[in-house]
Amino acid sequence: MIYSILKAAEDPGQLPAVLSGMRGISNADFHEVSYDDITAVVCDVQKASLVTDRSATMDYAGVIDSLFKDFTLLPVRFGSVMESEGEIRNMLERNHIEIQKNLLKVEGKVEFGLKVFCDTEKLKAGFNIKPEPEAKSAGKPGTGQNNSVYMDYVKKKLAEYRLEETVLSYVNSVIKEITECLTGVEATGKFKKMASPANIIDALFLIKKEMTAELIRVVKDLQTRYPDLNFMLTGPWPPYNFVDVTIS
Amino acid sequence: MNENVIDRSRDITILEVLDRVLNKGVILTGDIVISVADVDLVYLGVKLMLSSVETMEQLKSGKHLSQSNG
Repeated sequence: MIYSILKAAEDPGQLPAVLSGMRGISNADFHEVSYDDITAVVCDVQKASLVTDRSATMDYAGVIDSLFKDFTLLPVRFGSVMESEGEIRNMLERNHIEIQKNLLKVEGKVEFGLKVFCDTEKLKAGFNIKPEPEAKSAGKPGTGQNNSVYMDYVKKKLAEYRLEETVLSYVNSVIKEITECLTGVEATGKFKKMASPANIIDALFLIKKEMTAELIRVVKDLQTRYPDLNFMLTGPWPPYNFVDVTIS
Repeated sequence: MNENVIDRSRDITILEVLDRVLNKGVILTGDIVISVADVDLVYLGVKLMLSSVETMEQLKSGKHLSQSNG
């Protein structure tokens, strides 16, 4: 199973030294498969024994996290297996340029996740959307109880639509402010709006390691400025969300 | 900060780890081999589970509508 692909260290003895103190899935030893200046960290695994449970996946993440402390790396999705070392070496050779490009992109950088939560119902109530004015229906055909029900439905839907638009506009304004505040951090960001009714912003950032303290300061500052929102920052992570390599 | 907030944060962090490990990173298509342990099914592919719940809700709504119409 392949855990990660990393850039060879200047000291060739560094990776074996780090791996010697670690164990992979099913207590297997780690070894390296290299091509040129890139190395895959792998361990032998029986396909039948590869079970996805909480413990196995957390252990897997722990290994990648440990390696990330000392190396520039691309995490590989859990459960990625190849038949032999020869196949892995061929894969590295075939995708060498793409892997190198990605390693260069994430070198010296860390990923952070920022989730912004809020009580959406409270937020909506605060917007105080006024109901639509009464439509003039006198003298037109189809007036009466049926038309009134229809109009009520249309007005309700219109009010809901306007409310959603207002919430989205508010979310956009918060994202704009986050982006502006992060200018000094030089972050590469990805934003997802309304990931769930409570999670109004789900953002990911790739920043230089040395900018970590500044990012934390900015998020604390944002939290003070928006007391009704709940900012949750997680990281530093290996760059899981900024790897763009698909190997078939 | 109360304990509930800490617990919720811890849960979310675990989900963040699992989401990354299972869904992100270098993807080897066709080579992924995953068996699922019954007890921990809830932890596998949170997005997948949420999609399933949404689909179920939609199916329920559809069933409800057809019953109302029928």
